[in-house]
Amino acid sequence: MLVFVTVGSFEFDALAQAVLSEPVLRRLRDKGYTSLVLQRGNSDIGSVESPQDSFSIEREGVDIEIWKYKPSTQADIERADLVISHAGSGSILDVLRLGKPLIAIPNPTLLDNHQEELASALEELGHLKATSVRDLPETIAKFDPSSLVPFPPFDGSKFRRLVDEEMGFL
Amino acid sequence: MSMAFASFSICLIVLALTVRTYAVISGHTRRPKLSGRTVSNPATRSLAIFLGSGGHTSEAMMLASALDFSRYSPRIYVVSEGDTLSAQKAATLEQLKAADASSPNGQMRKQYKLEMIPRARRVHQSLLTTAPTAILSLLSCIYLVSIKPLLRKGAFRQPFADVLILNGPGTCVILCVAVLLNQLIGLPSPRVIYVESFARVRSLSLSGKLLHHIVDRFVVQWPDLVQRGGREECHGWLV
Repeated sequence: MLVFVTVGSFEFDALAQAVLSEPVLRRLRDKGYTSLVLQRGNSDIGSVESPQDSFSIEREGVDIEIWKYKPSTQADIERADLVISHAGSGSILDVLRLGKPLIAIPNPTLLDNHQEELASALEELGHLKATSVRDLPETIAKFDPSSLVPFPPFDGSKFRRLVDEEMGFL
Repeated sequence: MSMAFASFSICLIVLALTVRTYAVISGHTRRPKLSGRTVSNPATRSLAIFLGSGGHTSEAMMLASALDFSRYSPRIYVVSEGDTLSAQKAATLEQLKAADASSPNGQMRKQYKLEMIPRARRVHQSLLTTAPTAILSLLSCIYLVSIKPLLRKGAFRQPFADVLILNGPGTCVILCVAVLLNQLIGLPSPRVIYVESFARVRSLSLSGKLLHHIVDRFVVQWPDLVQRGGREECHGWLV
């Protein structure tokens, strides 16, 4: 099984480094995830740093592909059995709309941090699992995708009605 | 004597402007809805939507995709200078909508344009240099909202758009200020709908706080943001 990890377009060194660390990789492998694709953005990934935009390594029995930026993450999300992501609203929507199990991690280094708010609100509704970098290994070990509540599909009718009414069409 | 007269006149002008501003802002709730149709174009309304880059653009594109483009035409996508990604996304949506349209005529094609405005403030820009860039941005918005429609042939007294949709960030506040100034001098103005981001669960964004009392409709996507008796409205998730 494949896990896709995206840390957002800003730096989130702690998350990028954590997913390449032994405790996370070992638990992923224990759960049957033997492939991992990481989009790291501008994050520093420490010892495995490479000047290339994308490269592959193998660690703890997991095949890892590391990318700086992927023009579109849609295909990677579609392919993935699990997504681990920063808690940006765009990424969260992308993943949940494709019906993929999501572990979201708010980036505590962002100013005006509302990632935390969104992640916990959606967790309360059962749509995703929110955690922190520190608790990630344990979260992966306990995570049960089948316990998640499916996210409703996009419904444009509410906004359409609102604007149509405002503009005198209704 | 002349000093006293000057200060008296200034007070009078300030008072008049304050009264006018109050009238315009408080008028938002009472302003009559555009009734059914206009003379020039019986069945359509022009739409302007600000694409604020990144997550703001993604949400704005979803909002735009919800609309019936045969009703909202022409469409203006307002993007910040240099934001090619948002410009591309607008073009992609237009293509998708044109392909979707079952009507055989290619009427919907080319019924849109992009307008560029300078950013009010770049990420990490120091506060000291923000003032001049914000003023430049405002001047460019005034040109778009007030001056360009006046120069348009045969379309005198038509607003730059019938409806303007905003969802942040900062530069959209400048655009909204330009609309407010346009209204203050009595020119026809778009109705302004502000949609707070899906990411805002318990507190409004800075743009939201600033535009709260200025816009015609203030829409939030999480129920906790609705104040008792306030003007926020929540219809659930819109993106």
